[in-house]
Amino acid sequence: MFSSLFKTNSKTVFNYIYYKFGNEEKAYDVVQEAFVKLWENCAKVSPEKAKAYVYTVANNLYLNVIKAEKVRLKYANKSNDTSYESPEFLLEEKEYKEKLDRALNSLPENQRTTFLLNRIDGKKYAEIAEMEGVSVKAIEKRMHLALKALRDQIEGI
Amino acid sequence: MQENYLAKWLNNELSEEELAVFKKSAEYASYEKLIDVSGTLKAPDFDVDKAINDFKNNKPQKDIKVIKMNPMRKIFRIAAAIAVIFVASYFYISTLDESVSTQYAERSEVMLPDNSEIILNADSRITYSEKNWDKERNISLQGEAFFKVAKGQKFTVATEDGLVTVLGTQFNVENRKGFFEVSCYEGLVSVMFNGQETKLPAGNSFMAINGNVLKTEAPVNTIPSWMSNESTFKSIPLKYVLNEFERQYNIEVKTQNVNLDQLFTGSFSNTNINLALQSISTPSQIKYELEGNNVLFYAENAPK
Repeated sequence: MFSSLFKTNSKTVFNYIYYKFGNEEKAYDVVQEAFVKLWENCAKVSPEKAKAYVYTVANNLYLNVIKAEKVRLKYANKSNDTSYESPEFLLEEKEYKEKLDRALNSLPENQRTTFLLNRIDGKKYAEIAEMEGVSVKAIEKRMHLALKALRDQIEGI
Repeated sequence: MQENYLAKWLNNELSEEELAVFKKSAEYASYEKLIDVSGTLKAPDFDVDKAINDFKNNKPQKDIKVIKMNPMRKIFRIAAAIAVIFVASYFYISTLDESVSTQYAERSEVMLPDNSEIILNADSRITYSEKNWDKERNISLQGEAFFKVAKGQKFTVATEDGLVTVLGTQFNVENRKGFFEVSCYEGLVSVMFNGQETKLPAGNSFMAINGNVLKTEAPVNTIPSWMSNESTFKSIPLKYVLNEFERQYNIEVKTQNVNLDQLFTGSFSNTNINLALQSISTPSQIKYELEGNNVLFYAENAPK
């Protein structure tokens, strides 16, 4: 019961915190700590609430640690080996991705988290809203602003 | 263009016209590119199995709490409690003493496991342990009873006032409020009263009223008179006679100006109430009036 909860949710919790932190080790520690908290309080937390509980705890842990720490993110690319493209195209792609990385790093934390949860983890706006504890409309707003800001920065506007 | 149209567009929530307008805009291509490329982004690898293992090593040792989530535990607890109650009550009931009692105007015959016989007079009660009867023959008695004891080990009758011990015999024990009498009809009976032992051979009686031992004559008959439906008294205070009368007929006795300490010698029938009333009142020189379930005894010369 507990380990299935761990299996299905730990990856998303990890990503969620990673998008905020930009630090694998810290995100990993937060996952561990959040589940320990759940474990210690599992008598008080009903199974339906467990998932939301883990996100809340993880977010609080993140807030405690991060404070003013500067975020640095690096995203590995899925499609490195599609070599049938031309070298020029590949170079262009590489440059674009570097620009994207920089742009993501300069995004406000909440926009970046929303954007990446949607783009990488395929989370629906409603799911992200639940994790972050805000309305769907607020998530749409963050998404909209994130897209706008990313484009502006990549295009150099 | 509606609010947050970029988010709506990504979620395929734009209307056709809006979509057409957006597609014609200059920035559309750059947004498509952004979405395309960001779709190939990847989060760092996360090894779930390793995380689980780490977690298992890190987690505080609180295994009890895991068990708590199991709802069967509650059911097991209740089931165990019920089982304990059943087993305990079975053992308790099986060791409970047998008990036989009689009401007013009632008599009962009890056959003990070793064929000893007890005949209970009215308003009396005996208790004994059927299970331990082979080991010790102990009976506790309230009231009056006649015992025909089969030969064997020591047979003990415990009453509030005294202890009667025999081996095999026939005897009568009466223990009413303040009144204690043992009559031996066969064999030898030992009576423990106030720490003093009295041996009672056949044809002898032992009597104590309010703690005072009184000498009594030997019973004439071979069985107590109450067993032949007669209550017999020899120099017994009248109040005990009237108490016995109440017991035999389940009737309420009231007295007026009657000396209850005067001694009574005689007997009354246990079957014919009018005869019994006359047997009591005539020698005592008192009068009586019977009204339903009440009898009033009053002095002959006193005003009614």
